[in-house]
Amino acid sequence: MKLLEYQAKELFGKYGLTVKKGCVVDELATIPGKIKEAGLQYPVVIKAQVQIGGRGKAGGVQFADSETEAIARAQELLFKDIRGLTAKELLIVEKAEITREWYLSILLDRGSKSPMIIFSAKGGMEIEETAKTHPEAIAKVTVNPFLGIKDYHIDYLLDVTGADKSCKKQLSATVQKLYQLFTDYNALLVEINPLATDEAGELIALDGKIDIDDSALFKLPDIVAYRDHLQEDAMVLEARKFNFLYIPVDENGDIAVMSNGSGLLMSCIDLLAKKGMAVSSALDLGGGATADRIKEAVRILLNSGRVHTLLICIFGGITRCDEVVEGVRLALLEQAEKKTVVIRMEGTNKECAMKIVESVSDQVTTARSIPDAVEILAKKREA
Amino acid sequence: MLLKFWPKNAKPNRRRMVNTMSILVDQNTRLIVQGITGREGTFHTQQMLDYGVNVVAGVTPGKAGQDVLGVPVYNTVKEAMEATQANATVIFVPAKFTAAGVFEACDAGVPLIMTIAEHVPVHDMMLCYALAHQKGLRLFGPNSFGIISPGKSKAGFMAHKIFTQGSVGLMTRSATNGYETAFRLTELGIGISTAVGVGGDMIPGSTFVDLLPDFEADPETKAIVMIGEIGGSEEELAAAYLKKHGTKPVIAFIAGKNAPKGKSMGHAGAIVAADGTGSAQSKESALLAAGAYIAESTYQIGNILKGLGIQ
Repeated sequence: MKLLEYQAKELFGKYGLTVKKGCVVDELATIPGKIKEAGLQYPVVIKAQVQIGGRGKAGGVQFADSETEAIARAQELLFKDIRGLTAKELLIVEKAEITREWYLSILLDRGSKSPMIIFSAKGGMEIEETAKTHPEAIAKVTVNPFLGIKDYHIDYLLDVTGADKSCKKQLSATVQKLYQLFTDYNALLVEINPLATDEAGELIALDGKIDIDDSALFKLPDIVAYRDHLQEDAMVLEARKFNFLYIPVDENGDIAVMSNGSGLLMSCIDLLAKKGMAVSSALDLGGGATADRIKEAVRILLNSGRVHTLLICIFGGITRCDEVVEGVRLALLEQAEKKTVVIRMEGTNKECAMKIVESVSDQVTTARSIPDAVEILAKKREA
Repeated sequence: MLLKFWPKNAKPNRRRMVNTMSILVDQNTRLIVQGITGREGTFHTQQMLDYGVNVVAGVTPGKAGQDVLGVPVYNTVKEAMEATQANATVIFVPAKFTAAGVFEACDAGVPLIMTIAEHVPVHDMMLCYALAHQKGLRLFGPNSFGIISPGKSKAGFMAHKIFTQGSVGLMTRSATNGYETAFRLTELGIGISTAVGVGGDMIPGSTFVDLLPDFEADPETKAIVMIGEIGGSEEELAAAYLKKHGTKPVIAFIAGKNAPKGKSMGHAGAIVAADGTGSAQSKESALLAAGAYIAESTYQIGNILKGLGIQ
């Protein structure tokens, strides 16, 4: 789960990392009051709160020298589309006078299966460019999760990047705090870019990104509360109510795919794409779904976007084929228009399931294998 | 042992002897079930006993002295090890308790540890992996169907009926794609030496590159099937190994070519970074360059093996 900048900064503040004073607004009228309440001095920076990189380049960050200007800039930014996301909230912070910009992050590195610190003395908006053109300016070091951060990690980061060594103590403290946050919050990524130095020589987190492992949310109630502020697809939320995972795939697609495993979903999407068919959405039932829940899954998929066709692939162990088909039958009863459903199923209670299919054979076709199902869909499309 | 084979027309491969060694699990496996008194634990212990697995002990804290389906229950893994000389454990506990189970198994020195649960926190698994690695123990999963050497033994919850004994070593990140493949192989009369679910998580325990040396050294394994998917670099690491040491034919399938970028497809590990790291294309080209066959579907894997004359 990717947090918004102000949420990340709240956590930074909790761990003693320095951030600029600020306030969050979601309507124009409250801006002057909130700025006064937070005691902000002009000039200020107004930042659209969207969980996507490249925000500055997309015009999502503006500056203002006065209240009038702040309201004008906020008016432009609030509900602005930033690379496909809508800015529902704005963060207003005091503008920092800075002397340099570093880059610092800690991520869970899949290769070494351990935390990794990434640091560069050339931080800021161009970090991705730097990674391409000057990879030697970026230092990476893995951390033994049983030992945590040691002095030698910091020495390595400073040596490799040639960053100012007089800041070692400060950098060390910052990395320690960030690492604590990283482990306490089960983060996949914590990033400070830029990690700026102000005129007084203090390190400040001017921007923040935090990505938290969804599987750890059960032990992080404060993060679950943040989720309500995030932008999520209405269908994702609807599916989550029934404990299904809904994945929007391609907005130009018109086929939905449902399965009891995400590997199988990916296989189906690939085979359809190979035949020139685009999938609009995919839904993972997980194991053991019953007919009443499957009915909801089918309803959600058939009512999403331009979907008129549904491909269902079940390899049933815990998931019973007859429950699946019964769920499909119930869902189709409630559809106003006629839909096309192709089912490939194997496993528990397949014979029972085939009998139910006969009662809805005008809309439901069965296939012998996934390639066969894709072939049937391709033929139906031509016709 | 007589097995019931799922596809009615499939012929069991009777030419092979049952009494040979396999990698990871076989007739010499003495298995502990952690969480044996739970619903899933009990159900799958029954399945494993029916398959002929030598389940020597169960572990559930506070339930020592009971027995489940004739299997004695101990409070701790250490006590179970001391009493039974077990050499493998399978952990059937919910995701939030999985790490505790793995820590205990590692501390007791169980050489093979199999984790099953989905949605185990990645930081938990990072610690589990670091501990197992440090102690030289083999950890598999999480989010895995387990390990099976058909006709001999299994540790996990896979529907064993669809697996027949034979000469293909199978390793898969996805359970469902693994099932599809095993089902098709059985239809074609091709059997499996050992199938391993390496799991779909971001930080799996042992993975492709750790298993390739086992399959290479296993006299029963004549060909290797690798079912990968987008995300991470496990397939690229496997390709690098194959390039140097590979002698057996490898058939690879990579799922997720058309998955949306930057979104998790349900498997926490199946996510392509915005810069293209972990893409199916990168994996396929690395494997091709290492001499592997690339299948376009799980269905096609069987056809390629058939073409190679593998049974």
